[in-house]
Amino acid sequence: MSGSTPTVWVVARREIDERLRSRYIRIMTAISVVLVVAVIVAPSLFHKPAKPAPIGLVGTSTQALAPALQRAASAAGVKVRLVDVSGTAVARADVRQKRLDVALIVSGDQATAQVREDIDPTLRAVLQAVVSGAHLQAALAANGLPPSAAARALTPAPLAVTALNPAPPDQTAHALAAIVAGILLYMSILLYGQAVAQGVAQEKTSRTAEVLLAVVRPSRLLAGKVLGIGIVGFTQIGLTVVAGLIANAVVQRAQIPSTTWVLLPSILLWFLLGFALYAFACAAAGALVARQEELGFVTMPISLFLVATFLLTYVAVGTPNAWWLTVVSFVPPMAPVLMPVRIALTHVPAWQIALSAALTLGAAVLVAGIAARIYSVALVRGGAKLSWGQALRLSRS
Amino acid sequence: MTASRDDAATPAAGRSTAGDAALRVTGLRHRFGDRLAVDGVEFLVAGGEIVGLVGRNGAGKTTTMRAVMGILHPQEGEITWRGHPVGFDDRLRFGYMPEERGLYPQMKVLPQLVYFARLCGLDRATAERRAAELLGRLDLAARAQDQTIALSHGNQQRVQLAVAMVHDPDLLVLDEPFAGLDPSVVDDLSTILRGEAEDGHAVLFSSHQLDLIERLCDRIVVLEDGRLLAAGTLDELRAHLPRRLRVKVDAPAGWEQGLTGVRAEDGDGEGVVLDLDSDVDAQAVLAAAQAAGPIEQFGYERGHLVDVYRELVRR
Repeated sequence: MSGSTPTVWVVARREIDERLRSRYIRIMTAISVVLVVAVIVAPSLFHKPAKPAPIGLVGTSTQALAPALQRAASAAGVKVRLVDVSGTAVARADVRQKRLDVALIVSGDQATAQVREDIDPTLRAVLQAVVSGAHLQAALAANGLPPSAAARALTPAPLAVTALNPAPPDQTAHALAAIVAGILLYMSILLYGQAVAQGVAQEKTSRTAEVLLAVVRPSRLLAGKVLGIGIVGFTQIGLTVVAGLIANAVVQRAQIPSTTWVLLPSILLWFLLGFALYAFACAAAGALVARQEELGFVTMPISLFLVATFLLTYVAVGTPNAWWLTVVSFVPPMAPVLMPVRIALTHVPAWQIALSAALTLGAAVLVAGIAARIYSVALVRGGAKLSWGQALRLSRS
Repeated sequence: MTASRDDAATPAAGRSTAGDAALRVTGLRHRFGDRLAVDGVEFLVAGGEIVGLVGRNGAGKTTTMRAVMGILHPQEGEITWRGHPVGFDDRLRFGYMPEERGLYPQMKVLPQLVYFARLCGLDRATAERRAAELLGRLDLAARAQDQTIALSHGNQQRVQLAVAMVHDPDLLVLDEPFAGLDPSVVDDLSTILRGEAEDGHAVLFSSHQLDLIERLCDRIVVLEDGRLLAAGTLDELRAHLPRRLRVKVDAPAGWEQGLTGVRAEDGDGEGVVLDLDSDVDAQAVLAAAQAAGPIEQFGYERGHLVDVYRELVRR
């Protein structure tokens, strides 16, 4: 090389320039950014903290129940805001105009709750309990029990609830994050892996490879192509992750899984590892074809494997701690999708992540070596499509 | 010409006419399966010289050129450039136009040229300057920002030639550069190739169009079934033809029939065309003609490459 720019970078630059011109890539990037932001922001939109229900207490005898009502409501986990209202007519008007959810009128033995359409069953039970309590207290007082004793008898100790198998508070959010991570990685690796296969097949079938290989060593041509397409893919997924982190920061108070901060950067890492592993295999596949149309068939084993791996994500969200999930998250071709899925679902020890990453990287290096040999022999070979077996035999001889 | 038969251009006499050999191919042999694609091909190309590879399909032209470009690694033989085996860096100074064209269909013309120039080691500025210059020379300046696939066949061919030439290579290897082109494009490309040779570059190209080879090439290499039939200048190759006289005598036809070792061929145009065996003295024919009547025309026919080729292949 007499020039200062290394050949690998000249090749990579062309891949980047040509791909950035493609509208398809821009649309894909926009879709994945929107998808991730939506998944992060959506729960906070749907899980608005419940506003306290405004309850009008009509008349002094009703208003005397306010402390008991407040206690009962908080014990039942119902938020209420108690408002004193002077008369029934005003209370009815307030209910109609939605200033009040309920107007409670207690006078003597009679208790009425005025509502617009219906009343929340829990709130109804709370009101019923308070009214019944007051009634009982009055009856006890009338039969000579001192009011303080009556009040004590009617204020039971709060029910203690002990969960034997407590559910994590944001399990749904974890599952959603895991599925989105799975989709993102599976789609990016597949998409950019296919882009490598297509690029190689195009160079072969258009015979551009013939001109290229006269001046570029096959290993550098391959490395440049994988590097260039990898940079585009990494940028796309990087933009998605940055958008996700920003969205996460904005809605931090909402129900975001605590693992999101770890998950988003690890998606980047696993894209790099997964892409490296699959891209070289796809490049070898692209070099096998004689016609562009054969590409789908040749890359099918690779695509199917990736799809199957992705589908395991749906099984994984149901059983985040299953032994099989731990095992497959170490198997190199599956790890780039399933390890981040595990990270989203549950606490994964750092050593497991490191080991799985090292195994995947090792596999990528191994595959790259074999793929480069297949690529070199197959790229300028005329004639019919090569099978994987033929290509392996040729690459050994 | 009369005495040239005995030291005729033989396969070994691939002598350079224009200085030292730049490219030398020796004993090239390569087998695809059980088919011997090239079998002992050898020739050389000097700087400033255009050498034509001639032969029918499957004669070994493309295999030879791909071996020169390092796309195919020949099982036997040696290819040297300026005295040393061709290495990878040497090929950065070669320009190649393969038989089946190879361009990125979706890429724009100018970026495509710049890309190939940069792969050959040119920096961006030089690559852009050279590419723009070359597009001007090839009448493609207006198409610089068009997608390559949108160009006509002839224009794509020009772009392919531009790719081969964009880094100002010392050797051009062009496999059928004129295939499927209309005559005006052929003329343009011919002028450009001549110009390259005049600038001291070596040019090796193959073609089916023998008239074109004859017109353009300094030397010619004839291949058949992977073997070298002959190599040399057209004059040297003509030695493979029988001596051929064209004689016009104002006399009844058949005056030559008594001469031994002389065969009348189907003449076109004036007089009769006579092929002479090697031991026939042309002076004897002249005497016979004079005896028959007044001579209007008597001279050697200069054979064309197509005649030489037919003669070589016939043997």
